[in-house]
Amino acid sequence: MKEQVPIRELSNFLLDFSTTLMSAGVHTSRVVRNVHRIAGSFGYSVEMTIFQKHITMSILHAEDDSIRRTSVRAIPAGTFNFNTISQLSSLSWAANDEHLPLEELRRRYEAIVAEPRISRWWVLLLVSCANASFCRLFGGDPAAMGLVFVATLVGFFVRQEMMRFHVNHMAVFVVASFVASMIASVGVWHHWGETPQVALGTSVLFLIPGVPLINSIIDTLEGHVLVGFSRAVNACILIICIALGLSATLLILGLDLL
Amino acid sequence: MTDSLILSILADGAFAAVAATGFAVISNPPKKAILIAAGLAAVGHALRFYLLHNTVLDITTASLAAAFAIGLISMLAAKLIHCPAEVFSFPSLLPMVPGMYAYKTVLATIRFMSSHGTGDPQELIVQICQNGLTTIFVMFALVIGVSLPMFIFHKQSFMMTRLLNNKRPA
Repeated sequence: MKEQVPIRELSNFLLDFSTTLMSAGVHTSRVVRNVHRIAGSFGYSVEMTIFQKHITMSILHAEDDSIRRTSVRAIPAGTFNFNTISQLSSLSWAANDEHLPLEELRRRYEAIVAEPRISRWWVLLLVSCANASFCRLFGGDPAAMGLVFVATLVGFFVRQEMMRFHVNHMAVFVVASFVASMIASVGVWHHWGETPQVALGTSVLFLIPGVPLINSIIDTLEGHVLVGFSRAVNACILIICIALGLSATLLILGLDLL
Repeated sequence: MTDSLILSILADGAFAAVAATGFAVISNPPKKAILIAAGLAAVGHALRFYLLHNTVLDITTASLAAAFAIGLISMLAAKLIHCPAEVFSFPSLLPMVPGMYAYKTVLATIRFMSSHGTGDPQELIVQICQNGLTTIFVMFALVIGVSLPMFIFHKQSFMMTRLLNNKRPA
């Protein structure tokens, strides 16, 4: 076995590592596997409890159980980042296979976390195109697609700006859904094309929290039922917010279409 | 198969690919994964479109089959580009997530609760149940479908990111 790593530093690193992964939107069992892998390469074993907002982790030496450390760390609210998931996951294999020293792991971890995201303007443009083609999948004609493109462009921009100023995320979803559906309702009002009601119906779909929904079911099926249900409840709250924004539009315009 | 059917299946796949790309970039995937997610979404959604319109299968079973296809191909792709499979299989599921059924459930509930409600309350109850159950069952079908291949090839699915490091010169 390699010479012993200070348990305090290992514990801090593993907590940073696992809270970052959780806020990047990974399902729970991958976090557990990755943490076990890294701790194992230093000759420690780990038991961890994961909740929606906190991680409790006990690290103990495989041979001498008087060397142990237990700590709790809050999971920061973060935006999803699959690039981080992919790279941190392979970092855990690197630790396992090459027995990298802790300083090297820490250095690589900081580099991965610091990697820049895709430009927000690209995201804005691509999400708008995506929602427009989503409208086509639901049977919308070109007029409806154009309308949804504009509605998503404005709605997603509103969401990005409100997120930037750290507005409450439920308020963000209500307002973004209201703005997007209000713009799409112009088509219903002026009878643009054959399918303006499809445009109104799909204009808010870019807000649907798809990744949390998928993760919640994976967690539930894999036995992390509490995390899974917390995620499902959070996703349901957001869906209710989307429906509230949309129903405000329907109420204001006196429409009864959907 | 007639030409118009083939054409509409291809169009469905193409639009699903654009949709998957856009919904994927929100969660900042690795750049090489975006293309694969788009391709997988095209295959999955086109398969579901075909099953829905040309067989007796309902949306849940069709989604299960489509997600299973996505899961299988994503295992192969994960081996090729050495990424965890979910990095591109999840984004490719996003166009099939039953978002519209989900918020229609809530809208029908709101309408049912409002005293000056338009429409027949019994009809609204049917809508709530139908949309709500469809949401839940399609979500489960998507996740089970995509993870079935991972259960079948259990060991390989853990090793995808490891190969990345074996390739690196020591």
